[in-house]
Amino acid sequence: MLSIIKRILSQIKNDKRSLGLLLFAPLLVITLLYFILDDSSYVPKIAVFDINEQLVTGLDENAELTILDELPVDDNYLETNNLDALFYTDTDGLKLLMLEQNSKSTAALKAITDAVANLQKNSPNQIETSYVYETDSENLLDSMSYVILGVISFFFVFILSGMSFVRERFGQTLERMLTTPISRVDVIAGYTIGYGILAALQSVVIILYSAYVLSIHIEGSVGLSILVMILMAFSAVSIGALVSIFANNELQLVQFIPVVVNPQIFFSGLIPIDTIPFGLGNLCYFAPIYYGCTALQKIMIQGKGLAEIWPWLLGSFAYILILFSINVLALKKYRSI
Amino acid sequence: MQILIQSIEKSFKKQKVLENIDFTIESGHIFCLLGASGSGKTTLLRIIMGALKADSGSVTIDDLSVPDRRLLSLIGYMPQNDALYEELTVWENLKFFAGLHKMPRADFLKAAQALLSMTEMTDYQQKLIRNCSGGMKKRVSLMVALMHHPKLLLLDEPTVGVDPVLRRKIWQHLNSLKDGGATILVTTHVMDEVYQCDDAGLIRNGRIVALDTVKNLIASTQNSNIEELFFTNPTKDEVPAC
Repeated sequence: MLSIIKRILSQIKNDKRSLGLLLFAPLLVITLLYFILDDSSYVPKIAVFDINEQLVTGLDENAELTILDELPVDDNYLETNNLDALFYTDTDGLKLLMLEQNSKSTAALKAITDAVANLQKNSPNQIETSYVYETDSENLLDSMSYVILGVISFFFVFILSGMSFVRERFGQTLERMLTTPISRVDVIAGYTIGYGILAALQSVVIILYSAYVLSIHIEGSVGLSILVMILMAFSAVSIGALVSIFANNELQLVQFIPVVVNPQIFFSGLIPIDTIPFGLGNLCYFAPIYYGCTALQKIMIQGKGLAEIWPWLLGSFAYILILFSINVLALKKYRSI
Repeated sequence: MQILIQSIEKSFKKQKVLENIDFTIESGHIFCLLGASGSGKTTLLRIIMGALKADSGSVTIDDLSVPDRRLLSLIGYMPQNDALYEELTVWENLKFFAGLHKMPRADFLKAAQALLSMTEMTDYQQKLIRNCSGGMKKRVSLMVALMHHPKLLLLDEPTVGVDPVLRRKIWQHLNSLKDGGATILVTTHVMDEVYQCDDAGLIRNGRIVALDTVKNLIASTQNSNIEELFFTNPTKDEVPAC
């Protein structure tokens, strides 16, 4: 088992590009996403009608304002004028109309609530908010960081372990390995731990980079997040090895990526599980990423600790064990003893 | 180690690859399995090794029925394609397989150095397999098969792509292993290698068409060319007695 772990580490040491891709490609993707999703510098365009002058002055600091003389009746007004929000007063009080929920409307909403809060520190007025295109989802950006980290790490590790296992089958080194007295358990354990170490290294790099370079907000413990990521990475290694059984060559493994990875994204928390119809949400228990991402969400967003997230850690762990046993059994194809 | 092969049959999908294979390889002999590519040599070798399960029949090595884990440490197998790790150096490959055999370090160093010098690879031990030529890979693969001092060697076309001088050296080495008591099974489609062996079996379309000591086989041909036996014994139903 130790020989296999050492071999995997020397293999990757001699293949600097793969190592670089494993460690830095996720950082590149995360950085890119960070800038794409970063909207803090966006100045929202807001049209105002019949709003208290002080509020307008306050708002002017954070937004590009268009002062209207009459309330537009056209539904397409915001779209045709390329505006993000319409802020107005009618008989019921303050009203805010926006196009749809996205990063721009979030920025507009933030500018207005900030201005209102500044003005009426003690009793902020209720603003009735509505959207032209109504969606019920909560704000995506707030809840996305854990999905991104989980999915990206899972994806890279899955490809790495799946590919090397396919190559091992295809190049018949696996068969050769099994002509030695090594046991099947040792082969899979060596494999899982060897690639697990690489995956763990990747997890540490990703979390540290996200937390300290990109300053992505982690409410709970960074160490615990790393632990969850490592567990998730181990399950990605095992799932890569499992899928490689069904692939006869590298191309087929690549074809498996959308089949295996996409559903994981659906169950990663991007879509609230309990809103998925026909009980299909229960399929999440088959997605290793569900356990990892839910735990990550609880740590990074809700600031929960080990006491609250242990069921998901246990789930992750059980998943790894099950995949491990399946992989050991699958090796029987190459050696029945 | 004596290998007893009894009525082996093997089909892939509907195609019969091996039919009624029945022979014995005597302990301490070099046995050569001669046949064109696609004749079933590799399949038979993998069945003997236990990597493949025969549809029927049995292989017994020194009273142990294949597959048996106790046999694995005694067998040295060299597959037809090189089955080495491209991203590892020659030395790292040797070390990895030695590790799988749980060889003690001192033992490994001694064996590896002896083999490197035998195959004239000492200067290339830090070379990545990826950068090795076909002949070099073949030699590394052979070293991996020989390193743990196996009692039974199963070599699938061990000298393809190896230059004639080195080929002679490898055969000398195999002969010295035989003198040390090892049993060796080699497959080849190169006729002149047959003369290095004690016994030979000619395999064609999954059947043994001739089987005898190399001496007798040569004697039974008109011009001492064993290849002729492929023509004089066209896929007969009965297997010639040993």
